[in-house]
Amino acid sequence: MSQQVVAQENILELRDVTVSFGMNRGVSKVLDDVSIDIHRGEILGVVGESGSGKSMLASALLDAVVDPGTVDGEVSYRTDSGETVDILDLEDEELRQLRWEEIAMVFQGAMSFFNPTMKIRGHFLETLKAHDQDVDEGMEHARELLTDLHLEPDRVFDTFPHELSGGMKQRALIALSLILEPNVLVMDEPTAALDLLMQRSILTLLDDLQEKYDLTIVFITHDLPLVKDLCDRIAVMYAFDVMEVFPAGDLSNSTHPYTRSLLNAVPNLTTSLDELRSIEGSAPDPVDIPSGCSYHPRCPLSTPECEQEDPPLEEIAPDQEVACWHHEKVDEELPLALETSDGGSAEVYEGNQSDEPVVVMDDIEVHFETDDGGLLSLFDDPEIVRAVDGVDLEIYENDVVAIVGESGCGKTTFGKTAVGLQEPTGGSVRYRGQDIWETKRGEGTGDRSYDEIRRALQIIHQDPGSSLNPNRKVSSILQVPMKSWQSDLDVEDRKARLLAMLEAAGMSPPEDYADRYPHQLSGGEKQRVALIRALLMNPDLILADEAVSALDVSMRVDMMDLMLTLQDLFDTSYLFISHNLTNARYLAGRAGGRIAVMYLGEIIEIGPAEEIVQNPQHPYTQALHWSTTDLDSNSEGEADESPIRAIDVPDPIDPPSGCRFHPRCPEAREVCATEKPSLDSGTDHCTACFREYSEDHPYWDSEPLGEETIGAHVGGESS
Amino acid sequence: MNGRWLLKRIGMSLLVVWSTITLTFALIRLMPGSPISRMRAELYQQYGATMTQAEIDRQVRLYLNVQPDEPLWQQYITYLLDTFQGDLGHSYVQGIEVTVILADVLPWTVLLLSIAIMFQYTIGILLGASMAYAEGSRFDFLSTSVSTFLVSVPFYVFAFLLIFFFVFQWDLFPQGGKYSTGLEAGSLAFYRSVLYHATLPIVSLVITGFGGIALSMRANSIQTLGSDYIRGAQLRGLSNFRISYRYVARNAILPLYTGLLIQIGFLFGGAVILEQIFSYRGIGYVLLDATLYRDYPLMMGTFMVITIAVVVGVFVADLTYGKLDPRIQTGDSQ
Ligand code: SF4
Ligand code: SF4
Repeated sequence: MSQQVVAQENILELRDVTVSFGMNRGVSKVLDDVSIDIHRGEILGVVGESGSGKSMLASALLDAVVDPGTVDGEVSYRTDSGETVDILDLEDEELRQLRWEEIAMVFQGAMSFFNPTMKIRGHFLETLKAHDQDVDEGMEHARELLTDLHLEPDRVFDTFPHELSGGMKQRALIALSLILEPNVLVMDEPTAALDLLMQRSILTLLDDLQEKYDLTIVFITHDLPLVKDLCDRIAVMYAFDVMEVFPAGDLSNSTHPYTRSLLNAVPNLTTSLDELRSIEGSAPDPVDIPSGCSYHPRCPLSTPECEQEDPPLEEIAPDQEVACWHHEKVDEELPLALETSDGGSAEVYEGNQSDEPVVVMDDIEVHFETDDGGLLSLFDDPEIVRAVDGVDLEIYENDVVAIVGESGCGKTTFGKTAVGLQEPTGGSVRYRGQDIWETKRGEGTGDRSYDEIRRALQIIHQDPGSSLNPNRKVSSILQVPMKSWQSDLDVEDRKARLLAMLEAAGMSPPEDYADRYPHQLSGGEKQRVALIRALLMNPDLILADEAVSALDVSMRVDMMDLMLTLQDLFDTSYLFISHNLTNARYLAGRAGGRIAVMYLGEIIEIGPAEEIVQNPQHPYTQALHWSTTDLDSNSEGEADESPIRAIDVPDPIDPPSGCRFHPRCPEAREVCATEKPSLDSGTDHCTACFREYSEDHPYWDSEPLGEETIGAHVGGESS
Repeated sequence: MNGRWLLKRIGMSLLVVWSTITLTFALIRLMPGSPISRMRAELYQQYGATMTQAEIDRQVRLYLNVQPDEPLWQQYITYLLDTFQGDLGHSYVQGIEVTVILADVLPWTVLLLSIAIMFQYTIGILLGASMAYAEGSRFDFLSTSVSTFLVSVPFYVFAFLLIFFFVFQWDLFPQGGKYSTGLEAGSLAFYRSVLYHATLPIVSLVITGFGGIALSMRANSIQTLGSDYIRGAQLRGLSNFRISYRYVARNAILPLYTGLLIQIGFLFGGAVILEQIFSYRGIGYVLLDATLYRDYPLMMGTFMVITIAVVVGVFVADLTYGKLDPRIQTGDSQ
């Protein structure tokens, strides 16, 4: 972090930049008169929700707005030699040279940035050649960059993009963007599709790169807490304009009502659970931006003045600008929740789960063959992916269990096993004492039919759009489950019931929503319909697979609240799957449920939600905890050192011996590489790590693992 | 490309061929009113007085590769072995070995089809790419309409039209045959005559075939043009030439390859009608003839050869596709 910039000289200055698209409905301004300075050598975070115009800002910086959009205004870039050029005035060839040589960009959808039919090496080579650079020297630099990003250059060069894991691809792309040694790097949501732990690891690396290569970084994201430690300043965007800019070190510097509400809506690990509030209303349409302050329809501090006149961005302190007529009143009226909360001793609801388990899973194993099977696998020696490897779990009535882990840890497979959608290759799944798969094969002894069990175990997916029939109205989508399971209801009853449900889910007027098709609903609304549909089957357990991850931050809390309210009403349990410890804490914490942490097919720590969050024992859980930034840590700068030794998850085809976490574990000792710790049972809070064992365990006398033992297993993708 | 994958593909191809042989065997042997009983009845009728039962069976075996008095499994094994050794029996009508007949006609069909496919794809790809680049223009609109129309016309309708005008009305092309008689095989005039005779069948296939390819090429290119990696390549300052050939063309053409596999099978099936219309004695012509004359050995031999041709085509395409598109390089189910 380079707060000690010699002169606060601006490398980029934007003046009245407007991006507009002509549409049938009128001119759509997706960037509205934005003026902002970007200092040389700083990391500027640009934060906004989807549809706030933040991506347009990124494109405008390189005059790369896609047709038929037009950019007006001035974007001045100051070169190393002190000359100033207006990027929007450049000739095609000048612009071609400026891009990537001076300003490089990593935009959204980075996962598909690489040509799928070309090796990674080709991308570096062609870029060097296109800019007439010395190829040997350039490739040497590429190697250095890749190594900086914890990748093995030779291996990465020789792979095709699809052979790399998401995190590796993202890092390779960062290396590619720095290949021509640009001064400015613009990154648009570069990590959004990755696991939190990977996101944080990449941010740590970025921080190092910024220092080493003296970069100016513009980091665009919807996730303010994520970038808070990385950035020097944060600019908040709402309705296609910048609302405020403030030093990132202390979030209480923020003085705009929108920023405050946004921060108070973010679930995190310290704020008391009761103080989270979602923002009422929705962001405006680019064709029809409210007059005056664009935030006034949603702003709790709004006065008639706000409706009349648009507040300008004015400087209120060094490095700090805000566009709000009443910013002085913010501290009083809209205090930051994390400041008022009493240190995170969140009230835990007494869960009313019974002692009777609904679903019991015993020593579950799910092993996949990588081969697609069929007659001809005779010729193959199939590789086995151990997606789930010996897991026990009991889910009670009215229970909430959150499974947390990185992608590829087997949490989704495990969840599907729990609701009988995936047959385990070992162990048993019992619903109220009756083995699900025996029942399906007709061997069971219980008196429930397989269909009954299937009805009692429901699922909602991450992407609600794909599970709702696009050709049916909401009302008919919701009537299907009632028709089959409550056939005694007549048409009128069903109608009344579903309207009541829509109303309860906050979709009012319900008559209006019942008449819509799925494409006329927002992501959050679709997810609600999916939830209602699942609940109308009157299930005992609902598997919610990343059910809130795709939603905007401010809507996640809403959705989880709804899940909890409806749990009370319907007496159901949730198995909630997430890569995000915060969401897991919110849902499981409020219901007095448990969090289970999965790593490479095993549960490595499980316990009451608050326990796991406040007092994580396993080094992996601690790493996950680290990846979830605390909003109130006022530690300026230094995105602190990553607590894991290797960034990428090992290959599940050939998991590490001993403790599966040992190649990445900062506490690993020699014993860990040969012996496997088991989940100590007996207590509420169990941890599979030797550090939880008694003092006389050989771990404590064992030598710490050296670097050379680690390399062998690292490397995420199958080769 | 690894060995295991290759083995698997070869295994898969052998499996298809084996199923065909088995199916043919089952057809001959098990169908009521099967070729065997039919042939025995005929032989009996003709020579019943002079031929012993054993002799009749010997005749049946000679023609159908089946020994009617052996147990079923033994017959099956013999048939399988004979077939794998390339002995497909004798034509019932012409009295020559089936293999000889097939070797005579197969190259002609392959000639027709390969030239037709080549033209279909060349025209389709070029047209589709230009349509994509000019998306939304009048040219795009017109070509799309014409292509859509041509795709929906069956090739035999077109073939009849061609014959009607070019042969009967204007007398520009011969009505049938593969080459004019009396030319020295291998001479330039001979080749010219071959092409001359092949023109109409090829044209009818090409005209009705390129439209579909053009339309998918257009869709693929538009999709590729809108993809993130094109935008990335532009930002990195790559030349337009490199982008269009290394990024757009390659990624848009590759998916067409799968279409090619289906095309091969489809065209062999179509050859039956096509060759009949143009009196072109290729394998399709022979198949139809054999069916009309109930020449079972020939019919089944032809059927088998067509299957094998399709299998080999698919196999080759599959093999090369792996080379072209890294994404399916090892045949992993990703
Ligand atoms: S100007 Fe008024 S409406 Fe706008 S944010 Fe400030 S107080 Fe709210
Ligand atoms: S057992 Fe060893 S390697 Fe595994 S988590 Fe504990 S300390 Fe780390």
